[in-house]
Amino acid sequence: MNRQAEPRQDPGTTRPDGTAAVAMAGIVRRFGATVALAGVDFEAASGEVHALLGENGAGKTTLMRILAGLDHPDEGTVTVAGRPVTRLEPRALREAGVAMVQQHFTLVPTLSAGDNLALARPLGRIRPGARAARERVERLVEEHGLAVRTDVPAERLSVGERQRLEILRALDAGARLLILDEPTAVLTDAEAERLLAVCRRLADGGRTVVIITHRLGEVSAGCDRVTVLRRGRTVLAGAPVSEHDRTALATFMVGTRPSPTETRPPATARPSPAEGEPRLRVQGASLGRLNGFDLEADAGEIVGIAGVDGNGQAELEELLAGLAVPERGRVTVGGEPVPVGDPRARIAAGIAYIPSDRYRRALAGPLSLADNLEMGRGPRWRPPRRRRLRDAAEALRRWDVRSAGPAVPAARLSGGNAQKLVLARELATTPRMIVAAHPTRGLDPESARTVANRITEAAARGTTVVWFGAELDELFAVADRVVVLAGGRAAGPFPPPYDRTAIGLAMAGAS
Amino acid sequence: MTATVDRVEDAAVRPPDDDRRHRLVAAIGVPVAALVVALVAGGILMGVEGVAPMSVYGEVLRGVFVLDGGLRDTAVVATPLLLLGLGLAVAYRARVFTIGAEGQYIVGAVAATGWATAEGVRGWPGPVLVLTSLMVAVAAGACWAAVTAGLNARFGASVVITSLLLNYVAAALLAWAVRVGIRDPGAFTPQSRPIGAAGLPEVPGPAIHLGFVLALAAVPLAGVLLARSRFGYRVEVLGAGKEVLGAGEARPARVTLAVLAVCGALAGLAGYVEVAGVTERVTPDFATGYGYTAIIVALLGRLRPTGVLIAAFALAALSTGFDAAERGYEIPSSTAGVVQALVVVFFVAGDALAHRMGR
Repeated sequence: MNRQAEPRQDPGTTRPDGTAAVAMAGIVRRFGATVALAGVDFEAASGEVHALLGENGAGKTTLMRILAGLDHPDEGTVTVAGRPVTRLEPRALREAGVAMVQQHFTLVPTLSAGDNLALARPLGRIRPGARAARERVERLVEEHGLAVRTDVPAERLSVGERQRLEILRALDAGARLLILDEPTAVLTDAEAERLLAVCRRLADGGRTVVIITHRLGEVSAGCDRVTVLRRGRTVLAGAPVSEHDRTALATFMVGTRPSPTETRPPATARPSPAEGEPRLRVQGASLGRLNGFDLEADAGEIVGIAGVDGNGQAELEELLAGLAVPERGRVTVGGEPVPVGDPRARIAAGIAYIPSDRYRRALAGPLSLADNLEMGRGPRWRPPRRRRLRDAAEALRRWDVRSAGPAVPAARLSGGNAQKLVLARELATTPRMIVAAHPTRGLDPESARTVANRITEAAARGTTVVWFGAELDELFAVADRVVVLAGGRAAGPFPPPYDRTAIGLAMAGAS
Repeated sequence: MTATVDRVEDAAVRPPDDDRRHRLVAAIGVPVAALVVALVAGGILMGVEGVAPMSVYGEVLRGVFVLDGGLRDTAVVATPLLLLGLGLAVAYRARVFTIGAEGQYIVGAVAATGWATAEGVRGWPGPVLVLTSLMVAVAAGACWAAVTAGLNARFGASVVITSLLLNYVAAALLAWAVRVGIRDPGAFTPQSRPIGAAGLPEVPGPAIHLGFVLALAAVPLAGVLLARSRFGYRVEVLGAGKEVLGAGEARPARVTLAVLAVCGALAGLAGYVEVAGVTERVTPDFATGYGYTAIIVALLGRLRPTGVLIAAFALAALSTGFDAAERGYEIPSSTAGVVQALVVVFFVAGDALAHRMGR
């Protein structure tokens, strides 16, 4: 994903029959007072991989949901394969050959791959037998080269497999235009590269693939043309990728030239470990897929945990945050075992937790921002509401949480601001250890930079940081060393300068 | 650039004033509208039965506001509803959907009566007896509710199911108690001894028993508990999500137990108050379904203490008013129940409607 863009011989701008596979014109979509799309034009041709680029909230997903019939525009027209679509409904667009793989998958978790396909497009009146269902998947797997296990329910498939199954289901329904919403957000670099290769093959077969993304790397690596949205408007319409370098694309996306990624202060500038033993020590910890994991980290050190999801990351996150007891082994911070089950004891032990799933573990959506700041920290009797709001407003300003005030529910915050709210709470005091699980996932570049800076600042003050990351580039930028979690064990450590190939191999499980 | 991003994100938030007004209208408008529509529908039903609905409703109002003791009777019926409703409101705010108030109410009443009429205790001086009986009722109700919490924490059993089934166990306990356990040996029919000195005195003036004052005092207490205590905060967080609570504030199982214990304690108290202020002894037909009516009270009151106060009085007035109207008109005694049921139907439907319109 980090490779330079290779110029393509046929950048898809030349269309065999002169008509666009899909054309959207003057699309307007308002949500109350908010204008999500202010007259957007979009077109994509057959045989190309088209990137739809933009920051969070630029309107990418809304535009594509309209194209898939999942949302209705207030104004504008949609033309598929030269024919205007009058009824913008899921069924009409599905019949026109449009299919969308959304960020949150829509498989039935208890059904196998074959049954999920049979549910989406039944071939007969009765549910197919196990063998018929399996063969149907196998035929598709063979045809498109997307490997999916057929013998387990969808909930037991890995994220990558689930995504491939979603794509297979779309292809099975005869999709000519495939929309993928942030497809690589949940994948490792290697998986993402494979996915881009699949997209390329589908495009070569005459289909159109639209990839919604805010990652510049995969635009240059795998796409023919790119459309950039900014704040509900088209700022770059279907330009060949080869004409723009990454900096130019980033400029289109955010409006100004982004400042170069701030590098963290060199390790020597940080306090050296005063304690005799490491701040964090994980010894032979086993839980679920985690199998005898060892890790040591000193004060002020940032350890990056890389690896494919499902190799024990979730379990390690829970162990470090005191949400689970290890089946074997022990986890100590400053020589004391991590208190399990009692969040207040965890906080008293100086462990800050930034969970991978913000609204499941960090924030109570219906509660106000002020109430969320108080979680795990407030006194037995709470001060009057007015004072709570005033104190919260102060903290929100300091941490640059942009909102309509401390009394609004946390569910209303955008991803970046929600994460800043979590930081405002967890880093209010300088903790001894920060467990940061995918702290920048789903954030726009500016918020991601802020979040990363705040965490590295804490490390500079002597906090130990364990950073679970999906993007290697990000880990390389923040971490003092990288440990790969593969098959429930630690591989590495990999100190800088980072050897991408060695880390990639370790992630793939080759030791 | 920062400024533009700021503006976009601000715009993504609905204007808070507008939103608050909409929520307020839905919060108060829906219960009131449900009540009105239920009365109209009930009137139509009475019309079909051949009774003039307006004169029945007139009689209902007269029964509450004009007839001797109408308001007093309303207050007496509202007392247990208020205590039970407050407990359920706390539980439902935490999304702990217990239906066990009826059982906890029975157990509280039986335990307090058993204590107050026990050999060696019943001779104690009045105030001591009242205080100890009250504590026994509170503890019994809380323990009964704790069974549900324990089953939920240990085996993951549904709170709805276990609390509901425990009501039947409590009903059986009542039947046994009045026939065997705490039976008055001198009485011909199965019933307990009168609680005598453990009875609650009447407040001078309105001539309502002291329990009414207790129930009224519980309203601001519950309000403060919810708004200002750590417990109240945890109730809200549990209502938002068990996992958020467990990751950031407290053990969910403990908070669930505390919530159910508070609910059970208030229900047990209601049981004692009913015996000590109204029935004076426990009989086989002591349970009249207040624990179920209180679910409606809590929901109509929007799970807020003040709302519960209003809803308790509204439903109590409905019941006393229809009692009075029944005597004057040829209407079945179940009419009040029918109207109450209609209130629930229209309330639930109205809520769903308001939610849709709010989108």
